Amino acid sequence: MRTLISILVANALFMSGASLAADTDAQKIADLKQQLASITDDLDDLNSRVDKTERHTALDRVAITGDFRTKAHSLHYQNVTWNPAMNVNFSDFGAKAMSGVFGDPNSATSPLGQMMMANPDLASAFQSGMLQGVMPMLLGQKTQQDIDNDIFYTTRLRLNIDAKVWDNVSFAGRLTMFKSWGDSAGVKVFDSWNSFTMDGTSSGSTSGDELKVERAYFNWKDINGSGTYLSIGRRPSTYGPPNHYRENELRGGTPSGHLVNFNFDGLTLGYDLSDITGIEGQTVRFCYGQGFESQYGNGELFGDIITKDTHLGGFNIDVINDGNHFLQFTLFGAKDVNDGFTGTMAFPTQLAGIFAPTMYQDMQKFDNFNFVTRVQPSGVIGDLYLGGLGYAYETDDDMKMFASLGWTRAEPNGNAGLFGGMLSDAIFEAELNSTGTEIIMVPKETVDSDTKDGYGIYVGMQIPAPYGKFGLEYNYGSKYWSPFTQAQDDPIGSKLATRGHVAEAYYIFDINPKMFIKLAGLYYDYEYTGSGSPVGAPMKVDDVIAGNAFSMLPVVDTAYDVNASLTINF
Amino acid sequence: MMNTYIKVGIAIAIALSFGSQVMAAEGGNPKKGKHLYKKECKACHSANSEGQELTPMTKTMSQWDRFFTRDMHKAKPAVFEALSEKDLKDIQQFLYDHAADSDQPATCG
Repeated sequence: MRTLISILVANALFMSGASLAADTDAQKIADLKQQLASITDDLDDLNSRVDKTERHTALDRVAITGDFRTKAHSLHYQNVTWNPAMNVNFSDFGAKAMSGVFGDPNSATSPLGQMMMANPDLASAFQSGMLQGVMPMLLGQKTQQDIDNDIFYTTRLRLNIDAKVWDNVSFAGRLTMFKSWGDSAGVKVFDSWNSFTMDGTSSGSTSGDELKVERAYFNWKDINGSGTYLSIGRRPSTYGPPNHYRENELRGGTPSGHLVNFNFDGLTLGYDLSDITGIEGQTVRFCYGQGFESQYGNGELFGDIITKDTHLGGFNIDVINDGNHFLQFTLFGAKDVNDGFTGTMAFPTQLAGIFAPTMYQDMQKFDNFNFVTRVQPSGVIGDLYLGGLGYAYETDDDMKMFASLGWTRAEPNGNAGLFGGMLSDAIFEAELNSTGTEIIMVPKETVDSDTKDGYGIYVGMQIPAPYGKFGLEYNYGSKYWSPFTQAQDDPIGSKLATRGHVAEAYYIFDINPKMFIKLAGLYYDYEYTGSGSPVGAPMKVDDVIAGNAFSMLPVVDTAYDVNASLTINF
Repeated sequence: MMNTYIKVGIAIAIALSFGSQVMAAEGGNPKKGKHLYKKECKACHSANSEGQELTPMTKTMSQWDRFFTRDMHKAKPAVFEALSEKDLKDIQQFLYDHAADSDQPATCG
């Protein structure tokens, strides 16, 4: 390059020299020589700088991009009701009490005597023969309140990592930090399934200022020229279609966002069918994953592991994906689902008051302390199946419409933990603790083990509007609707997991192609309890409010979330 | 004096930032661009065809912008001349939106 320029300049000197008057030649040549020296100097400088860039490009194997979102919510909950109770087999309790299993009822020091003294209402009801069969035993006074969290700020940082490994192999990752302002504890007080910090939700639930690995997988495409691809790792299983419209993003994950918005580890074996069928974007995928590891890390060597690994498997088919039409079919199952995940939570003092009275006594001495504890499931409660069909249409003028139908089937096996079995409540039986000094309630079985089908619908549209886009969405979930969308970062709870109605309207102002402001309002009207949890029987919210039904965790009737966010992509 | 420098500097920075925005493809219809790209470009730019295989991922966003503003398909200018300004804008928008350094659908295929 430098040689070429030197020749050109020299040539110019020669050509110009011939046409100039002799008396100015010397001066001109001197000027040009000086300019040439200056250009040469600049070129040397540029060369050294380009060398550095080339070296950097050659060695920099990872491309990092990302997005940063700041969001302000105003959250309002109506009729938040807590009316805890458990189903107790009082016939079994009576038989054990009468046969002296719990000690002498007339002795104040016997386990039965102590229980009677601690629960005088229960004692008199029991003695008058009012408690027979399986009946709810109240665990606390019903409370009800409206809650206004006028301002709640969050910050989300996502760093995307991409690397080309080989011609047909690439690596992709996403590190996510999602925190509420002023809180880096990463652990919330357990008051709903949504507040449980665990593997599947760490990217969508405020979990402190740490970067979590939301995704890390490789893509090995066109293996041996067969059109088959294999991908293994922490999956791109969050923010799938049609969720991406409200996120103002391109498709953010492989599976339907209506069914799955949950981090999980596994693999995908896929095949691009479009070359065979001629239908653009047609891809069939088999997915496999493990949602829970029952042994390693759970005290395996003590030999008392009673849970099982949870394995997932299924098919995800993009029937058509041509930029205008998108049709996706999903069907998968989760085998041996447990009554929870391994995770961390701050233990609520209120639950200690009910279930751990001796611990509660000490906790009262530190009333602003919570103990953070690692929890793991207590047993296998059954199998879950999920299916969905989603269609989205985008016009050439960027108008978007979508409809998605989801189906979930729960097949409980009759086992139950503290919060119940699969979509069924537990029946507790009274037993003596291991030292024989206290009567404790132990979950023995579920109220029923019937198969339970749920369905959800999700429809929406987004139209171009001045300075951006305007969108409307609506979704409904039935009584037993149990999708895996808990990582969706709506603070009130994943709107798509709601057992009831949710309506959302939003306006997106596109400041420039890399920045946008979103104003949104969501209104939740819950019909049944336990949205987002496959554990415990869904109860009609109106019945809980009326005091005719019970729930171990607080129940929300209606809620709304008005929010504004600013997102930049870099 | 210093204030003048700062003002000039800020003016240049603003001018540059506007300039860079103007550079980015804007206003084209990427969906129409996709149809046009398939119709007009893929004939020569598929695997084993006359031109080199080309996908939106072949270039970066700014490289596509340069291609449409400066290069103008130097190898065969007639190709560009045959297309209307609107069509070119649409194709540019599609290629820009899906360039190597653009947001790509984050799926595993």
